[in-house]
Amino acid sequence: MTVFFSLPIFGVTLTLLAYFISGKLKERIGRIFFNRVFVSVVLIIVVLLMLNIDFETYNNGAKYISFFLGPSVVALGVFLYEKLEEVKNDLKVFLIAVFVGGLIGMISVILILILWGTPDIISRSLAAKSVTTPIAIEITKILEGIPEITAGIVIITGILGNAFGSIVLKKLGVKNKKAIGTALGTAAHGIGTAKAFEISISAGTYSGLAMCFNGLITALLAPYILNWLFIYIH
Amino acid sequence: MLKSLIYIFCFLFLGELIHYFLDVPIAGNIIGMLLIFLALFFKLIKLKDVKPASDFLVKYLVVFFIPYGVGLMVYANLIAEYWMPVTIVVLLSTLLSLYVTGAVYQKLDKK
Repeated sequence: MTVFFSLPIFGVTLTLLAYFISGKLKERIGRIFFNRVFVSVVLIIVVLLMLNIDFETYNNGAKYISFFLGPSVVALGVFLYEKLEEVKNDLKVFLIAVFVGGLIGMISVILILILWGTPDIISRSLAAKSVTTPIAIEITKILEGIPEITAGIVIITGILGNAFGSIVLKKLGVKNKKAIGTALGTAAHGIGTAKAFEISISAGTYSGLAMCFNGLITALLAPYILNWLFIYIH
Repeated sequence: MLKSLIYIFCFLFLGELIHYFLDVPIAGNIIGMLLIFLALFFKLIKLKDVKPASDFLVKYLVVFFIPYGVGLMVYANLIAEYWMPVTIVVLLSTLLSLYVTGAVYQKLDKK
């Protein structure tokens, strides 16, 4: 049976089917905390465990789906160009905020984990946790962490930001809608951006752009910052 | 659609090529993202030539990383062992990044 399940069509179909079903479930349940990626992942894991199929076998097909992460990141460059026009007037403020916030997010992750004494492989896998998943996976590969852990934590970070981000920001006195959008995109990538679009169109646009910029900034700086912190604190 | 997909793949290819030969610590697809942005910015290529495939890819972006999420099952033990620092780090650093970004933006925007 394993030979049969290792046919690429199994992994491909199971992945697409799980995503399709997650959409149907969302229509029915429609909760705020409902995240389609999370639900799809759980559905697939349940099927694999029930049929006693290991990840490698599933990934024989699923790898054809994840291949499209590469071109998707390039497509984000097109998205970035298209939306940049809309923040033109606030560009300087926007860039400074994303840069400072993104950098502090990244440094705090690595710093806390080093001081806690967790193995390096965990900090290497979590450094990019606020960045959109396709970029985060690439960053983790470069940092020699475990991309699967990154993907899981990135999704959880996004759900957290989506669920509590705007409430927390309001409590802390951040009421400017563009500021809220920028913060959601920087700290909680695409899943945070979905929330920002509920606040207003402009908050959503700022959030989507912040997601792209933070992805770029983290990709460019993470290898250097990680090495630097490892050398000076260890 | 096909033309725009070829454009995207060519930029990805170029990015991977640069990554391979220059040996920079930046992934090929991120270099490709930068290059396509610059090409659009300096009007070397037209937006309408790349938009169809790019819109499609961005729309289904989340589907493409589902397999990585499933891969987490392989590392369940590692996560279970370090769930405490991981949980604290995710909460603290997300909050910090969220607040600092928002506060900096709001403060500078008023001036």
